[in-house]
Amino acid sequence: MRNNHVVAASLFALSLTVAGCAEVQRAGEDIARQSGNPRLAGAIHGVGNVVGSLFPIGYEEESSIGQAMALQVVARYGGVVDQPELVRYVNLVARAVANTSDRPDIPYRVAILEHDSINAFAAPAGYIFVTRGLLKQVRNEAELAAVLGHEIAHVSQKHILDIIQRSKRLAGVTEAGLSYATSNPAAFKNVIDGAVKKLLDEGLDQGKEMEADTIGEIFAARVGYDPEAYVGLLTRLRELKGDDRALFKTHPNFSARIEAVQKTIQGKHLAPTGVILQERFSRMTKRV
Amino acid sequence: MTQSRRYWIPSVAFCAVLVTGGLAAWAETVYVQAKTAQLRSGKTSLDAVVGNVKYGDALDVIGRDGSWVEVKTAAGAKGWIFSNKTSSTKPSGTNDTLARLGHSMRGGDASATTASAGARGLDKASEGYADRTGVSARDRDAVDRMTAYQIADQEVEEFLREGGLGEYAK
Repeated sequence: MRNNHVVAASLFALSLTVAGCAEVQRAGEDIARQSGNPRLAGAIHGVGNVVGSLFPIGYEEESSIGQAMALQVVARYGGVVDQPELVRYVNLVARAVANTSDRPDIPYRVAILEHDSINAFAAPAGYIFVTRGLLKQVRNEAELAAVLGHEIAHVSQKHILDIIQRSKRLAGVTEAGLSYATSNPAAFKNVIDGAVKKLLDEGLDQGKEMEADTIGEIFAARVGYDPEAYVGLLTRLRELKGDDRALFKTHPNFSARIEAVQKTIQGKHLAPTGVILQERFSRMTKRV
Repeated sequence: MTQSRRYWIPSVAFCAVLVTGGLAAWAETVYVQAKTAQLRSGKTSLDAVVGNVKYGDALDVIGRDGSWVEVKTAAGAKGWIFSNKTSSTKPSGTNDTLARLGHSMRGGDASATTASAGARGLDKASEGYADRTGVSARDRDAVDRMTAYQIADQEVEEFLREGGLGEYAK
């Protein structure tokens, strides 16, 4: 009898998926409940959640994930820099690059982490972080644009969301639905903790980092920044940190990244523009 | 002869319809691949703005010259747009139909902001996460301000103009 309920609910939910009608799913739940069959209503609801979890994560849910991850990034990195002019400048560069990226229709915000390590991160929904230590290494606006382009590419390509959707940890959670974050906070915490661990400790896989380098380079070049600037920054960081220890401890080594960026410049015919805006960068970041 | 003329005229007319229709079907379409973009009367950033288009708008291509594309909007307005603000493929958008459907079926309200947060603020899920992980008030406030941070499109445009970036390249 119970199996029949589950089969019926599965078929019903599947038909809803095909029909694309979540309203009908709720109506089905109501009818089952009113007819004295709460178990069937629960089954329809549960199967609907599972079916729903197979669909891509929408922006609202992405925003919840990004915001929660941002809390953890800020907490772990000792807070953010409170220099309004500097923050505004970094955000303007990010917006300039993001506006002609492949995903210009979401808000991007950048915070500067009060930390001397050389690092940058992107959480879903456009939450981007650069450390004060990284800003100290950057010499011009084109280099900054390339760094931000890399992070914007992580967001536009939904790298973290991809990891979350694939993770086995989340597999146990999707039955309750990610949107149940408020009613199942322990499950939500597990998802966020796993994603933060990946972002800050383990790192994304090297393929995603290379992709972010390539796409970020194109984003920065689209708005007119000199594409060679990123090569200059990576080369300098290689001299500073060496190839054995990557800039971001989980990234591919600098030599491989420099080579990939140079291939992108040649393969995509990214023309040198000479626009590096060193003077504006120096003026705006003199208090870094 | 008379009979062949009888067929010749409709045949030419039929071919003309085919060619015209075919050309229309093959007309190039580009899509706005920027949050917003301006149509100008000419192919430089110094030319007057004659219209505004937004992300995802479809534009018929009339011609191209260097970094600029002459286009016509669905409403019939014509103008030039900076080519880097267009794409030959239709942008999928952030909240496409599948994602909206998935969210609806999962049935959540994860992003509803907390009642105490006012116009901005952490959403319920993040607030709960902050509580469970002991994130300090200072760090919550930092993310709160980050979430609310806004820069007007006009400011970005001015920033590009000052730097000689995008369509303002010298």
